[in-house]
Amino acid sequence: MWLLLCDTHDGSAAWAGQRLKARGLAPMEIITADQLALSNFQEHKLEGRSGWTLRFRTEAGLQVNGEQLHGVLNRLYTVPIGHWRQAPEADQSYVQQELVAFFLSWLAALRCPVINRPTPQGLCGQWRMESEWASLARQAGLPVQPYRQTSRDRLDEAHGARRLVPRGAIVSTAIVIGGRVVGQALPQGVADASVRLSRLAGTALLGIDFVRDAQQAWSFAGASPTPDLRIGGEALITALLDTLTRHLSEAA
Amino acid sequence: MILLCGIPSESPLALVGEALDRIGAPYRWFNQRHFQRTEMAFEIGDQGLNGWLEIDGEGIALESVRGIYSRLMDHTRLPELKDEADNSPLIQQCNALHDTLLRWAEISPARVVNRIAPMGSNSSKPYQAQLIREYGFETPASLITTDPQAVLRFREQHGKIIYKSISGVRSIVQTFDEKDLGRLASIRWCPTQFQAYVPGTDVRVHVVGQQVFATRIESEAVDYRYAKSQVGEAAELTATELSDEVAQRCIDLTRGLGLEFSGIDLRFTPDDRVFCFEVNPCPGYSYFELNSGQPISMAVANHLAWND
Repeated sequence: MWLLLCDTHDGSAAWAGQRLKARGLAPMEIITADQLALSNFQEHKLEGRSGWTLRFRTEAGLQVNGEQLHGVLNRLYTVPIGHWRQAPEADQSYVQQELVAFFLSWLAALRCPVINRPTPQGLCGQWRMESEWASLARQAGLPVQPYRQTSRDRLDEAHGARRLVPRGAIVSTAIVIGGRVVGQALPQGVADASVRLSRLAGTALLGIDFVRDAQQAWSFAGASPTPDLRIGGEALITALLDTLTRHLSEAA
Repeated sequence: MILLCGIPSESPLALVGEALDRIGAPYRWFNQRHFQRTEMAFEIGDQGLNGWLEIDGEGIALESVRGIYSRLMDHTRLPELKDEADNSPLIQQCNALHDTLLRWAEISPARVVNRIAPMGSNSSKPYQAQLIREYGFETPASLITTDPQAVLRFREQHGKIIYKSISGVRSIVQTFDEKDLGRLASIRWCPTQFQAYVPGTDVRVHVVGQQVFATRIESEAVDYRYAKSQVGEAAELTATELSDEVAQRCIDLTRGLGLEFSGIDLRFTPDDRVFCFEVNPCPGYSYFELNSGQPISMAVANHLAWND
């Protein structure tokens, strides 16, 4: 069984799920974060020297056994706690942290390919501050506009005012998946540096934003482990299929 | 230049400050409570990362900072902000300063004790346990479940079991006993972690770079940190030695997690097995130093000064 884990309103994941099914990935199940939050987690267990096991059943009755999974496309970024809405705020906060810690563990313990693997800074890949991305992108060899920050800044972070994108600039997104670049076509040097950024970030599926100046020169404008997958089109689906199934053909 | 970040009177910071005085290494306090007298700026550009920090009118080039010891408290709880309205200019000033410091420290080439990202493994005990096992330590048999029957089976298999949080929040270890049976059904609402009880002697290991300080802990409590409330008597701490092999594993584990300084909780069983319960990435080591006499703060000071 292959799993696609995503938020209920993640239209991009739903599109990818449909295309993966249409391209023959079966059996594939889509489980939303809401469904996971209400699932019966029968066991996530460690005994002796074996690795951690996982068994859970969704409310709809789907039984999942971690050892029988072939691959997971993971777009989870939070664990909903709607069923705790009536509890005191302190308890809600505790439950939220417990559930995220639990999901981090069982996702990390899966032995099949997981795109993206979880990290403590993000269930579907590490989220980074713009300053970290700017620094990492420079290391990868991508052109990056200078990033400046001072303690006198009074920026509206909620509206992305510290983004590496000038206001009103048009952003193009390329997606790196398994060492390939899909979506926005890039000059070879920029594409190579994008693959290096994905590796440096430890994020197999990475959306990378670019802006172009008046001379059409490319410059890094941000990155995300949850890009809109539709940007990648069928090339992305092909790359996902390769990444999720390669271990089976290699084993055969 | 070394930067000590937090509240200077906090024991772990204060001890490192005193140690830096003794070795004569230059340092400055980034005192959170003086945020109104502190400013900073940085830029990532063609010249790399550079910037400045100004404390009480005296400037420091950020490129000159080679060591950072960060024990920042939640700045929103500073007494100076107690009576401030939401998002007041003072709160915005304090937020902006801390945000600038955090973002710079995370990418600074200085030796940072410790950066935020690698400290994250401690936010999920079972996740961290997976990493710990890669370094040759055993971790206890564990079960996380929403199923009360699974807990009963686990208890039947292991006898004495304990429960504790999965995250780092409310992290107090408790023995699962008869009185807990009555409320076991409530785990259906939130996955709960149970572990086989491991008998033995606790040893807290502090690793600073390549240096290892092991402290033996004598206590009847299930969680020695809460010995006084659990068994009515504080734990007794004494310096001890580890075998070269176990010491090296502790060093490798610390480095593998991306940490410069760690507090590792080990338990040595009567049949010579070594269990590791967790790695604390921001150890409040002063309790151990003051009770065992081990020079941990001096090791941290030398590490920050690149003297090791």
